[in-house]
Formats: sequence, structure tokens, C-alpha cells
Amino acid sequence: MLEMQQEMRKVAKELLESGEATVVIGWEKGALPYQTSPVLIRSAEETEKLVWDEYCQQNLSNYLIDFVYSDEKVAIFAKGCDTRAFNRLVQDKRIKAEQFTVIGVPCPGMKDRKQAAKGVADVPLAKACQECRYPNPVYANRTLGQPVTPRATAPDYSDVEAIEAMSADEKAKFWQEQYSKCIRCYACRNVCPACNCTNCIFDQSKSGWQSKDINASENQFYGITRAFHVAGRCIECGQCDMVCPSDVPIMLMNKKAKKDLDQLFGQYDAGLETESLIPLGRYDVNDPEEFM
Amino acid sequence: MERVGVFVCHCGSNIGSVVDCAKVAEELRNYPNVVHSVDYKYMCSEPGQNLIKEAVKEHNLNRVVVCSCSPRMHENTFRACVAQAGLNPYMFEMANIREHCSWVHAGHNEEATAKAIDLAKMAVAKVCKNKELKKGHSPVTKRALVVGGGIAGIQAALDIANNGYQVDILERTPSIGGKMAQIDKTFPTIDCSACILTPRMVEASSHPNIKLITFAELEKVEGYVGNFDVTIRSKARSVDMSKCTGCGTCMTKCPGKADDEFNMNLQKRPAIYTPFPQAIPNKPVIDRESCLKFKSRKDGKDVCGICAKVCPAGAIDYEQEDEIFVEHYGAIVMATGYDQFDHSVYGEYGYGKYPDVISGLHFERLVNASGPTMGHIVRPSDHKEPKTVVMVKCVGSRDPEHGKSYCSRTCCMYSAKQATLIRDHCPDTKVYIFYMDVRTPGKGYDEFYNRTREEYGVEYIRGRVSKIYQDGEQLIVKGEDSLLGRPVEILADMVILADAMIPQNDAAKMAQIVGIGYDNDGWFTEAHAKLGPVETHTAGIFLAGACQGPKDIPDTVAQAGAAAVKVCGLLSKDQLETDPCTSEIDPALCAGCGHCVGVCPYKAISLETIEERKAGKTISRQVAKVNASLCQGCGACTVTCRSSAANLNHFTNAQILAEVDALCQTIL
Amino acid sequence: MSNNPVEKTENFEPKILVFACNWCTYAGADLAGVSRLQYPPNVRVLRVPCSCRVNPQFVVRAFQRGIDGVLVAGCHPGDCHYTTGNYYTRRRFLLMTRMLEYVGIDSGRFQTRWISGSEGPKFQEVVTEMTEIIRQLGPNQKLRDDVTIEMQDFEEEAVNE
Repeated sequence: MLEMQQEMRKVAKELLESGEATVVIGWEKGALPYQTSPVLIRSAEETEKLVWDEYCQQNLSNYLIDFVYSDEKVAIFAKGCDTRAFNRLVQDKRIKAEQFTVIGVPCPGMKDRKQAAKGVADVPLAKACQECRYPNPVYANRTLGQPVTPRATAPDYSDVEAIEAMSADEKAKFWQEQYSKCIRCYACRNVCPACNCTNCIFDQSKSGWQSKDINASENQFYGITRAFHVAGRCIECGQCDMVCPSDVPIMLMNKKAKKDLDQLFGQYDAGLETESLIPLGRYDVNDPEEFM
Repeated sequence: MERVGVFVCHCGSNIGSVVDCAKVAEELRNYPNVVHSVDYKYMCSEPGQNLIKEAVKEHNLNRVVVCSCSPRMHENTFRACVAQAGLNPYMFEMANIREHCSWVHAGHNEEATAKAIDLAKMAVAKVCKNKELKKGHSPVTKRALVVGGGIAGIQAALDIANNGYQVDILERTPSIGGKMAQIDKTFPTIDCSACILTPRMVEASSHPNIKLITFAELEKVEGYVGNFDVTIRSKARSVDMSKCTGCGTCMTKCPGKADDEFNMNLQKRPAIYTPFPQAIPNKPVIDRESCLKFKSRKDGKDVCGICAKVCPAGAIDYEQEDEIFVEHYGAIVMATGYDQFDHSVYGEYGYGKYPDVISGLHFERLVNASGPTMGHIVRPSDHKEPKTVVMVKCVGSRDPEHGKSYCSRTCCMYSAKQATLIRDHCPDTKVYIFYMDVRTPGKGYDEFYNRTREEYGVEYIRGRVSKIYQDGEQLIVKGEDSLLGRPVEILADMVILADAMIPQNDAAKMAQIVGIGYDNDGWFTEAHAKLGPVETHTAGIFLAGACQGPKDIPDTVAQAGAAAVKVCGLLSKDQLETDPCTSEIDPALCAGCGHCVGVCPYKAISLETIEERKAGKTISRQVAKVNASLCQGCGACTVTCRSSAANLNHFTNAQILAEVDALCQTIL
Repeated sequence: MSNNPVEKTENFEPKILVFACNWCTYAGADLAGVSRLQYPPNVRVLRVPCSCRVNPQFVVRAFQRGIDGVLVAGCHPGDCHYTTGNYYTRRRFLLMTRMLEYVGIDSGRFQTRWISGSEGPKFQEVVTEMTEIIRQLGPNQKLRDDVTIEMQDFEEEAVNE
């Protein structure tokens, strides 16, 4: 990883010195080892701040939305999931691909920062990284290093299936417990590259969709609605789980949606390209018929 | 401040005998925002409507809820009333406490009353969120399309054309004329079908306002009332219409043979053909399935070509291809007609295997002077004149088990007509008719039926035929005379089955293409059984003739005329009022993702660039915008839009949520 | 929600919300009325132009507010008045039926069905069957916010709009 880090610093320096970029988005060290966080680098000297370590999980592509109306020339480091996020943002017309320079970084998988924070000795890879099928950039202007072997070849739905196996009452109890922990901080939404509306309905107090009450019912309305909104858009980066202060298993909802969409309408991995319509934005006259 | 008036209708005893209307009114009086609530015998009557108008004035109402019948029945009535009272017509909601309540919960008065209260509360909750809406305008293409060139289509087209509008007739077979051209005589006057039809065909073909598009299929209908874009596939005729003179030499020389559909396969026709001698246009087409040249081409050879050699005009074009084009119309008349039920499903009638058991339409060709037997009534098997003919009615009609549940309406009369024709042509031949009932509701129909029995000596036997089977050269018909209560057995030379009228086999698909409703049998659905018999629920599309249900010629012609009047009324307008219940997109909320553009079936949404101030500078960004004159108000975009920037006027998120909440409020 | 006041009772009569498209199912329900086809008085029809107008969020909202069952009904695929609306309905609700069951909504409480304008008997049959299923299941306990909206709140909301 150190080698890659040197390479990244070198590339960033070149881009800034040549004027090809005025700002480079990457990661920097945090106060604690597992707190590696995003950084905007604007000068060649600053490039020494850039790191590439086991905690660069945070998806950087969402930051590009802030530069859409800026005159700055932005370059961004992107893992497999960052590039899928990038494509998703292009697909939702939130950014234009040609406006940015994407420097692909093959990703060996990032460690679970929540486990690290608990002081676990041998910190495992984050769950999303363990299940990652696209560690290599799917889009980039240039890619550093050598491609890595995907850690998974097929989606792992064992966690979803465990919930599906429960009785209706058990499911209701499980989710009610989970969502009664939710404090509706909307961190999961803010970090999500699939949640990219300019005006989220949960920020529109007058829309009438939701009261301000924080209880299991209202929180679940939020959870189900968000799962519906990101269905077919989720790139399975697992950021939502990682940022949730209440440990609500948000990916468990998103994965369920993906599993069903794939089963019903054919496999569709979001963010691999930018041309296709998402599964809920199209139809096939021969879709499964269960409503006769 | 919302000031809602609630008016609960008894509809005589229709609602009042089940729902306690006074109680509904009383309950609603205490509901938020309701300032006036009364019940009345007939809200739709003039005094009822006056009640609304006076209450609006007296109580300064700004919203009205009427609890009565289905909005599909009287929404427009009450909207007009509310408008006359000085309110915007969209400040009105209806609670359906008749079709959805009193009529379906008879005897459950308490529960029905509670339900009516719920429905009324939902309507009040919704109306409080209603906004004043104004109708828009859209232009009208002053040209009509008639789909189907039978008597219904021809009549509708002539009536439209005579009123000064352009009209196209789209016909899938090579000639207009339809089923009526196949029929020999018409009841009850026994005038020759061709003699009254062919002049109309000629008139249609030579009318300056009518264009015939024959041998063509309807592929796609897009757009909306006043502005339909219709995609038509003109099938390859293999004959250049501009060169062909219709001399007919090709047909006499053609060595190809095919079943002659026009003559119910009672004879063969050449592969290059016109369906019948009076066909219009009277220019042949090549039936590529039967043409020796086209058949040989499939095997990699290329033989025959006689028609091209003999054609003096050089009109034969083997390389012609289907042509697809789009035409624009303001209105469409569906006149696609019917088909004949296939009696081969009936084992007791011989599964269609006996050559001398024929259908009514077969008989029409047999008795027709220009038919395969030159009008001599002979048996198909040996061409001998039958001495005993048995006719069986209701074959496939009124038989939900094997056929259709409905009455085909025409069979009683055409069977009587055919019986008299047999007796006229062959006075020595005996005719028996097996019937379930004799239905003769039409001018001069019952008189005709009586003559059939009394003057023509046709014997009617009330009862079902249980079996028909071949015995040597003859057929044995077994049945029961249910009036005398004894079995009957008749030795017959020929049997004529009065097959039911059924929709065209692709009627459902056709309905889907044009976007109209159809019933379980496949007949197109009219907008209202009584008050909208030629309209459909799709504005600008009308029905004529048997495509809507079994009909005889007089009814078909009458309906075609009615449809034509509706079309002319539509085309006479320069602009149409458009429904304001369309989608709207709030640019402030729209992220410009464009997913709504993809789901809109009317291409009514597009992305446009707007300029706005953001963080101290002017930026331009894309947002979705609805073209209200194209939007038909389905609401697909509203669900696709995650940020609820897209909303549907009159069915907004706030309105529907208010209804849901109002309903659930009464739980527990 | 945990101590839901609604208990399963012997004489429980569910309340069922039907989202009906204007062109097919609403007409089918009208036809049931015209034909005097009797069915349990437990259903309340909410008219929408097309089944594709029904946002799955409405369904969740209804369950939150304590509805016992929800039916979304529209034209048969291919028959949509707006040509393609119900194809989107089908996709959305194939997914959302599964999602709702995943969070614990009992199977059968939420249904989507195609009922045409000529299918009065089918409307009768579907709502009768659904009422029976939900009678067996008892009152809905899932997703409920457990707070009945007070009249006052309702008024405030109306004023705010």
C-alpha cells in the first residue's frame, strides 16, 4: 500500500504542478489510525498529506457534487466503489463525467473502522469489502497499480436470507428494534451516492410525507422509503452501515431490494456504466406476473 | 380558511334505503372545516343543485363535497353546478356512496352508514387540499381515421366526409365491403345486400374527402384527442396500384390456387386476386402464401411469373415491400366488425367435420347469385339440391359453457330469412328450425318471423339439438321438442348452424393498440351503456358497428352515423379544452435527474435549462418541465420522482395523504 | 408500538384501503355496484387516475396510521388507459410487496391485483377474499405509529397547507 501511496502523491503533485488539476480529492490520516478521512489538496506541498491505508473506505465521489458549478479543475482518487458511485452520479445527471479527472486505484479491501474503534485486535475487512465484486475501477481516466482479484464472485445474501426465514412477527420485531435505535441523523443518506437529490423529501417539512416524530414507526417509514429510493441505484459500498451511529443494519434493507430486483428483473449491478435505465425506471411486458 | 359544504344524496331509495343519510350529514357537520352539511332526496335534480348554489352563497362555502353516486356518473354535473355557484369547478369532490356502498351492502345498514361517513370524511379531507385549476387548450387536427371498411366504417366515413371533413378508411383486407358484401339478402326487406352496399362503396371511394387505405394494418396509436399519431403498415400488394388498370387478365391466367375466403372456402381462387368482382379498389393483390413464385423463392428457386408476363400495364412488382408511415388525425372511429363463431367445438354437431353441416355465412355464399353455385342451393358434398334442411339457432350463443353467454341478436332474423330464401328457391324443400327462443325486436321483424311460419310454412321446433350424425348420404338430427316434451329425429340433407357473432380474433390486441377498453369476450367497451354508447373512455376514439357488440345492419348504420356526429362535433372545434389534472414539476425541488422523462408515456416531460442564483453567482442547471398539453395525468412521474418535485394536480401527494389519514383516523 | 392497544378480537372487522385506478378498477367497482354484487363493507376505495400514481410510500403511511389492509388495483397489463402505467406499477409493487413482508407486514395484508372495468365480479371476489384473510390475521400491529391523529393536529395541518 505504501508503494501506491507514493504513486498517488506523485500523480497528485504532477496534476497540481502542471495545472491539470487545481484540487485533488484523496484521503488523509485522522487523529486515530482508523479515522482516515477525505482531504482536498490544493498545492504540491500538501500532497504529502495524502495516504493510502486500510481505512480509506469513505467514498469520495459525492464530493464532486460540490464542484459542479465551480471553475476548479478537480481530480479524484477512486476505488472500485468510488467509480461505481461516480457512474451513478453521472447516470442521475448530478455530475458530468468529462468535468473531472478520475484516477483509479485498485482496492485491496478496507478494514471495518467500527470494529477498530471497539479495540478489536485483528480488525476484519468491512462487510461490504468482504463481499466486494468490483474492487477495480470500472471507470477512470487513468488507473494506478495492478488490478486486484475480486474478493467475491457472487453476491452474498445469507444475511438477507436469515431475515427472510423469520416469521412475520419476528421480522416486525427485529426491524422495530433496529429502527427504534435510529435517531434520524440522516448520515446514511448524506454519505450515500445513490441518495443524491438536491432536495430530499425528508428535508421538506411541508411535503407531508413525514412528521418530525422520532419513533420506530416514523423511522421505519424513513428506512423503507430510502430502500425504495435507492433500489437499483445502491452500489453496495456499505458507507451507510459504516456511518450509522446507532448501528442500524441499513445495508440489510438495501441488499434485500437488490436481491429481489435481480431475481425479478434480471441481474443489475448499479454504476457499472451510465447508459442503462435503473430497474424501476423501465419495464418489460414480460415481467413476472403475480397480480392476476 | 376552508369552508366545506357537504351534501348527502338519498338518490331516492337507492342510497337512502341502506345508508342513513341524515346521520352521515350530521356526523360530517362536526368534522373539521365543514360549515354546512345536509341531506336531500336527489342532489342531481334541479332543486338539489339549487340547494348547493344557495348554500355556497348563504354559508360562504369555498369547497363542496357531494356524497352520491359514482363520479364517473355525475362528477361533471356537479362541477358545472359548483362553477355556476361561483366557485372553481375543481373545488369539488364526490364521495361514491351508491355504487361503492348502498348498492353493495344491502341489509347492512349500520356498516354501510359507517362506511359512507368514512368516504365522506375522505372527500372532505381531500377537498380541503384542492386547488383552483384552469383548463388548458390544445389544437385539433381536422381529419378522422376510420378503422375497418365494412358497412359501419363506410357509413361513418361518408357521414364525416359529407360534413366537410377529411377522413381515411383503414382496411386490412384488399377491399372495403366487409361482411355485408358476403351476405346475399338482408332482413326483413329481402333486398339484395350487394345492391345497397356497393353504391356506398363506390361513393366512399370516389368521395373527395375520403382516402382508402386498403390491405393495411394499424400498428400504433400515439397522442391524444385531437392529436393522434397513427402508425400504419401498408402491406405489400405486389401490384403497383398506380399502374394497374384492374383489367383482371392476371387473375384469369394465374396457376396458383388458394381457398376462397370470401366464399367461405367453398371454392378456390387464384393467388393473384380481388376478393370479389365488385371489390374496391378493384385492383388485385398477390397472396404470397399461395403464389407459386413466392413459394418457390422459399426453396431458393424462382418460377412462374405469369402474371407479370401477361400484365399489359407492367404493374406486377414482386419486390414490393411493406411500407410503414405515420398519419395525423383528430379523431378515430373503430369499426372493426365481428367474426363468426367456430362451431367445430361442438361434438354434437360433428366438430365441423360433416361437409353438409354449414354455417349461416356459408349459406349466404351458397344462395348468392354470384357465389360458387350461382345461387343454386345445393349441398357442398355432392351438389344435390337438399330436400330437407334443418337449421339450428344459438350455436355458440347463450351457452357460457362451450360458447358465449350473450345473445348474438341477429341469428333469429337471419335464420328466418334464410329459411324463406330456401322456400323461395326450392319450394319442395322442407325447412325445420330448432330454437331456444325467437327474438324479433326490430321494426318489421316479428311480422317477418310470422310470415316465415305462416306463409312460407317453415316449421319451428322449440328445443336443443342433441346430436347430428351422418347416415349414408344424409344427416340424422336428433333433438327434443320441449313444447311437446318428446324426442324428435329428422332425416336431413343439409344442416345450417346459426353461429354466434364473436369479436375479431385480435380485438383485444387492437383495443390495446388504440388504448380503449374491451370486455371479457373482447367486444370494445363503450363509455356508458346508455348515455355514451358510441364513445369510449378514451377521448377522441369512437365505436361503430359490431366491434362494440353483436348488431344487425340497421343498428350498425345508425351507430356509425352517431359516431360520425361525435367526430364532426370534435373536429368542428379549433381548440379543445384540456384536463387541468396534469403533472407539474417544482423546479426548486427538481434535481434534474431526468428519470421522469423516461417513464412518461406521452413524451410530455423534457429537461430544460434554467438559470438561478447559487452561492453568490448565477448558474445554469437542468430541470424537468411538463408540457401540460401533452400530459394526460397518469402520475407515473410522481412516483419516479424521489424528491416529490413532480406532483399531479388534483391528485397531489398532500391530497392522497390527507385521504389516507382521514380514513385511518377513524380506526380505534 | 410495542404495547399496541388493539387486541385481536372475536368480532374484529378490518378496515381495508383500496387504491383503484379510475379507468379499470374504479369502473369495475362501479359495475359491481350496478350489478348489486354484495361484498363486505370493510373496503374503502380511493380513486387515483392510474395505478402508477400510487406511491408505495402511501401504502407505508396507511399501515403507519393503522390500516389493516391495502389493495392497489389497476388495469390488466396491456390495457392501461395510459398505455404503460401499470407496467411500472407491476415493477414497483413486485418489489414493495416483498419489502413490506420483509419488514414484517403479514402476507396478504398488502396486495396488488388487476381488475378491469368489466370485472365487477372479480372486484367482489378479490375484496371479499382479502377481507376474509385479514379477519383471520386480526388487526394490523406492524409499522403502526400507535398515535391516533388528534382532531387538532388535523386542523393545524389543513391550515398550514
